[in-house]
Amino acid sequence: MTAYDSNALAEHDARATSHVPAQIEFRNVTKMYGTLPAVKDLTLTVRRGEFLTILGPSGSGKTTALMLLAGFVAPTHGDILIAGNSVAAVPSYRRDQGIFFQSYALFPHLTVRRNLEFPLEMRGIKAAERAQRIDRMLERVHLEDFGGRMPSQLSGGQQQRVALARALIADPPFLLLDEPLGALDRNLREQMQIEMKSLHKEFGITTICVTHDQEEALTLSDRIVVMRAGRIEQTDTPEALYDRPATQFVANFLGEANVLENPGFKVEADATPPSGAVPMIRPERIFIAATAAPRRADADQRQFVTGVVEEMIYCGPLRKYHLRVGNNVLVVREHSASGKQIFRPGDEVRLDWLRSDVRFVAA
Amino acid sequence: MKMFFQKLGRMPTVLTMPAFAVLLVVFGMPIILLFLSSLNAPVFSLVNYQAFFGQPANIRVLYQTAEISAVATAICLVIGYPAAYLMVAASKRLRTTLIVLVIIPYLTSGLVRTYAWVVILGDRGLINNLLLDLGLISSPLPLIYSRIALYIGMVHIMLPLMILPLISVMMGIDRSLMAAGRSMGARPFDTFWRIFFPLSIPGVRSGCLLVFVICLGFYITPAALGGIGDAMLSTFIASQVQTSFNMARVSAAAFVLLGLAVVVLSIFGLDLSGTQGRTAQSTRNSWRSRPFDLMKRRVSELLTPLRAKRWKAQLYRAGSDSRWSNIVGTVFVVLVMFYLLLPELLVVIMSFSAGSFLEFPPPGLSLQWYRSFFGDPSWYDAAWISIKIGVVVAILSTIVGTLAAYGINRTLPRLRSFLTLVILTPITFPVIVVGIAAYLGLLKLGLLGSMTGIVLAHSIGAIGYVVVIVAATLANFDPRLEQAAKSMRAGPLQTFVRVTLPLIRPGIIGGAVFAFLSSFDEIVVTSLVGGLAIRTLPLKMWEGIRHQIDPTIAAVASLMILVPVFGLIVLYLSGLRPSPAGKRALPDVAA
Repeated sequence: MTAYDSNALAEHDARATSHVPAQIEFRNVTKMYGTLPAVKDLTLTVRRGEFLTILGPSGSGKTTALMLLAGFVAPTHGDILIAGNSVAAVPSYRRDQGIFFQSYALFPHLTVRRNLEFPLEMRGIKAAERAQRIDRMLERVHLEDFGGRMPSQLSGGQQQRVALARALIADPPFLLLDEPLGALDRNLREQMQIEMKSLHKEFGITTICVTHDQEEALTLSDRIVVMRAGRIEQTDTPEALYDRPATQFVANFLGEANVLENPGFKVEADATPPSGAVPMIRPERIFIAATAAPRRADADQRQFVTGVVEEMIYCGPLRKYHLRVGNNVLVVREHSASGKQIFRPGDEVRLDWLRSDVRFVAA
Repeated sequence: MKMFFQKLGRMPTVLTMPAFAVLLVVFGMPIILLFLSSLNAPVFSLVNYQAFFGQPANIRVLYQTAEISAVATAICLVIGYPAAYLMVAASKRLRTTLIVLVIIPYLTSGLVRTYAWVVILGDRGLINNLLLDLGLISSPLPLIYSRIALYIGMVHIMLPLMILPLISVMMGIDRSLMAAGRSMGARPFDTFWRIFFPLSIPGVRSGCLLVFVICLGFYITPAALGGIGDAMLSTFIASQVQTSFNMARVSAAAFVLLGLAVVVLSIFGLDLSGTQGRTAQSTRNSWRSRPFDLMKRRVSELLTPLRAKRWKAQLYRAGSDSRWSNIVGTVFVVLVMFYLLLPELLVVIMSFSAGSFLEFPPPGLSLQWYRSFFGDPSWYDAAWISIKIGVVVAILSTIVGTLAAYGINRTLPRLRSFLTLVILTPITFPVIVVGIAAYLGLLKLGLLGSMTGIVLAHSIGAIGYVVVIVAATLANFDPRLEQAAKSMRAGPLQTFVRVTLPLIRPGIIGGAVFAFLSSFDEIVVTSLVGGLAIRTLPLKMWEGIRHQIDPTIAAVASLMILVPVFGLIVLYLSGLRPSPAGKRALPDVAA
């Protein structure tokens, strides 16, 4: 073992007991694959203890960002700092991190215990302490009786918990999650979302999650970074991002959006439209009523238009309408249990929304 | 030391260097030298080729070589395709058993299998003896030393090599496609011909290419079973080497043979890189010529009204009883298995004969021929030499080949197929050409007739087998497992030892077993580079077969049949089974 390694280990052990979450910085990071930039001039600070999600469609550069942070690829330009130290030239195995892989990457030839032991062993932790920490961790993820099993003998949800436990067991200063809930069915997903949130709170660890799943991003994150074509499109809290998307891309990627580009009627709004921006209204902000229905008390703050129902889609808790209004087809969502009148294709209806609910998004 | 492994981690191609070094010295440079000398370098002329083609006898042998190989390939396909089809259709357990029954002869020494036919077809062989005993004939029928005997032997030896690729492609065909076809009104034969057969073409292609190219290089079987008029080019080349080593002449003949192989390979495109889908597409177009295709569509068009009527008439009609076709299928598979296995079984039975020469049924049982084997130092010395060489070859080529496979797996995709192609040349070239090249290479190294020389000559082919098997295992190995290990602070060496190695171990053991078997059975290359000093078991046996039918050979052959069975047991214990270990890394939600 080289001097460098033992120093790093000593340093790590001191840190492991004090649980200091790290701050992570991307400084003008560019990664080229041949002549194609996968990530362009990325600058981003992840705060200590924060749960930050990088959200984007495939090809947006989010996976490259994760690979850069994990040390599996090196940046072409720029620098990455973990807890203030440049790590651009440090290989993955000289870093201190926990990674949760999309396919879990559990070692198929090792039992659950041996899988959990691996990161501890590599950090030179004594056998007695290893056993203790494994016991504690297995208990924490409710897999006390599964330590002797092979990964192939576990269900999908159990494999996922082992993968998470393995990423966390060595108390790394930060955790990387790659599409953490991708492979699970709906019920398990919700359980795991709760589990992840509570683990994040308990360990207080800086967490960077990469996903294309907006629901995953909205429910788990403190902040979301939306990426598109290698660049950051917008960074904000989930609520702010959903409520005030800066661009049409963000509006459409996060939830459904009625973008009123050339609507054929004047869209009234409280805010003054910036140049080049188009108005947008979320489907749940639009009310739908029969044309002759009496207007509500706040009618003076609302805009009214008429439209024709093209389609009504029943989706359990929600009812979705597609309505032709002017040149656009608007989507409107109502709760099935609202007790309101149900409209059929061909019905003429009146739509209205608060002028303050109209947002402007850049094209 | 640590720095060294880090560098290796970044430059995986370096790992292929030992393999290429061996290949270059023993095979690559000599083959270039041979090519140059065939062109009369440094003068450069085609005089040697002119001399070759100037002799009508040579042209006849060349034509005969191509003809015999093509006919043998065609027979293999005609027998192998339905056999593979029926095996794939069988239940899982039966299929596995049948596959093992095909693999056992595949792994058995070609020499032993040729010998079995000598015993069966010979003038004093099994069939003639039986017929004579029954009084049906008064003098032996001329069965052996004929074209028919040659085909029987060659097809027997090559059939597993046709059936195995066909099975692997057929197993990959999605069954639901045939169900879909039937749901759209196609009758069983239509679903086969329009859906299953086109999808199985890649298997037909690789099976035919393998069989044809290996047949081109056949040497032992034509010499043992064929008549005077059935000489193949390899026999011709080998006799020239043994009588007078005129390098220019021999190399011209070798390159004519190689040229024939290369032409066939490039026309039908042997894709060794494993990207079957892409080339399958392009060859499918050339497979059936356009006019033929158009004509077929035209006929199909004419039949449409007929089909429409039939479709209505047969709608909701109960399916016809398929018991008859089941019986035919079962009988066919049983016959194929008999053809593949019975000769070896007969040899084993006769090896326990109490008679003083080979006869069937044996007059009584005894171990006399085994005693004669273990009592004769020239036999057990030969066996010991073969085992020693095999073990060293297995160790050397497993290490070098595993490194190469790992390096190839981790290198750039463009480079990958090229490196694979180069490393596999010794097992794709006709074996006699490899033998001549190795002869020249070892001559330059001064290793002719030495153990080291034979080990090197065997290793160039054995490395190829190891690379193929280990690369297949690596292809199913999830590289994210290595990333995971590295993210947990395991260095490159630790990652390899703790994660990669245990997961690809079955492939490595499989490679070692194959390397051993390929060396243990080798005879053509050995006979060229061994000189007179070293006699391996196959060489000693070959002499025996040619000079006298000594029943001791039956005992030796029986012992040699045991070797691959042993190998299969090792493979089974090491866990080299169809479901690769790496796949288990994927989440199994259903579990």
